[in-house]
Amino acid sequence: MSLLVVATYPSSGGPVLEGPVALESDGTLTIAGERIPASQGTSAMLGAACQVCAYLGVEPPVALVAGDIGRGDGTRAVFARLAEVCQRTAPTVVAFHYMQPIMALMRHAVAELTECAPGVTLMADAGGMYAAKAAGLASHFELMTPDVGEVGFLADPDVTHPAYVSHYLFGTNGFDPVELARTAHDTGGASRVLLIKGVRDHIAEGGEVVEVVEAPCVPELEAIGGTGDTITGLAAAFLGAGFPTVEAAVCASRANRAAGVAMGAKPHHRASDLVTELPQVFAENLCAWAGVCSTPQ
Amino acid sequence: MMWPFGKKRPKTDDADEERGLFLFYDVAEAIKAEAVLKANGYEVELVAPPPNLRGGCDLSVAISRVEHVGAERVLMEADVHPKEWVNDTEGTAEVCDLVTTVDFGEWLMVRAGNMKIVVEKATGTIVNTSGGGCPDIPYLNLELVGKRVDEVPRPKDLGYTLCGLMLDRAYVEVRSLLEAGETT
Repeated sequence: MSLLVVATYPSSGGPVLEGPVALESDGTLTIAGERIPASQGTSAMLGAACQVCAYLGVEPPVALVAGDIGRGDGTRAVFARLAEVCQRTAPTVVAFHYMQPIMALMRHAVAELTECAPGVTLMADAGGMYAAKAAGLASHFELMTPDVGEVGFLADPDVTHPAYVSHYLFGTNGFDPVELARTAHDTGGASRVLLIKGVRDHIAEGGEVVEVVEAPCVPELEAIGGTGDTITGLAAAFLGAGFPTVEAAVCASRANRAAGVAMGAKPHHRASDLVTELPQVFAENLCAWAGVCSTPQ
Repeated sequence: MMWPFGKKRPKTDDADEERGLFLFYDVAEAIKAEAVLKANGYEVELVAPPPNLRGGCDLSVAISRVEHVGAERVLMEADVHPKEWVNDTEGTAEVCDLVTTVDFGEWLMVRAGNMKIVVEKATGTIVNTSGGGCPDIPYLNLELVGKRVDEVPRPKDLGYTLCGLMLDRAYVEVRSLLEAGETT
């Protein structure tokens, strides 16, 4: 099993980087030996994924990323390299994360992956999820990890970006993630499994909520940039390690919350503070949560 | 006229019948066009293009049809280049303007749609930004966090996407609340 993460990092004109991701002892993330900026977004996602892989003793994630600060140049650069990297790395799971949501590029990418790695498991969050849904490709994906605002976007077949979602779909009056998960599924806007991140995390399979994770509740995590990305990274890595999808989502949700408690989360903390806590969280809980009880290698 | 955010515009509205759209290659150009046209006295609005004209992360500027020619000249003079003019606004939608706040004691979080900004009340320092999925959001996080809200450029002047535009709405709200002393 191997996980390939396709995304961008926040650096203007930053080159394409491709290779194994390493989380250094000082919290720095490197890809093929090159450091990427620590921020919310894909660096938080990759940090969490690295912790899972290290704990489980599996190969670290491989990343295909480029610098992009919103102009779309890095996004186009990584899509241009995707087929080549796919052929070389033969991924079993591909996760799309922070990137410019360009529907045409995502259509092309999914077609390329289908040819290069038949049966590959696709997952998406952030701009990758926006592009997949807007392009009508959501049902090709195994897992998406929307927050409470984004699930409204998935459930509304007419919108191509969460910024245009009708207000009643957001996490306010009348917000119903169970109904939205069903609607998203029925209208082709959802992956097979959804992990809906919020005060209560809802995991839906085939449009039906099958798990709800609500404890421990750490409201401060919402304020900390990147703590939704760490859930996505956890889920991606568990999926890449061979966990069944729903179990991967549930373990990701639980681990993120437990790490939030362990770090004593406050609104001024960083996602990297959460990532630091993950090995201890795994050691204390993965046996009970997923039957992973052996000492990590 | 303000429509409830996110609602699709019906074609029956007389005002809408008279409006058209400037389309742009990217969101940043649309935001720049809005600023240029407003500075020149035009009444404009940022809206989603109709579905058949969208590429993924799109923003267009709605303006009265009769002002189209003059407005286009103003844009060209400002080196802002629309991709296309569309003589219709059917199927457009407004950007969500739902803004909510969460009080964390020492800190205040403001959400605009799914974008969030968090400030330390005592100092006005931005301690976090979160939400969204476009690539300018981690960039804005790096540019804004650790600085005071009154010392940084607006997110819409730094960012390039709809996510950045939504973060700008949260930024404007938190500045307003801090300046009004409504955070204690």
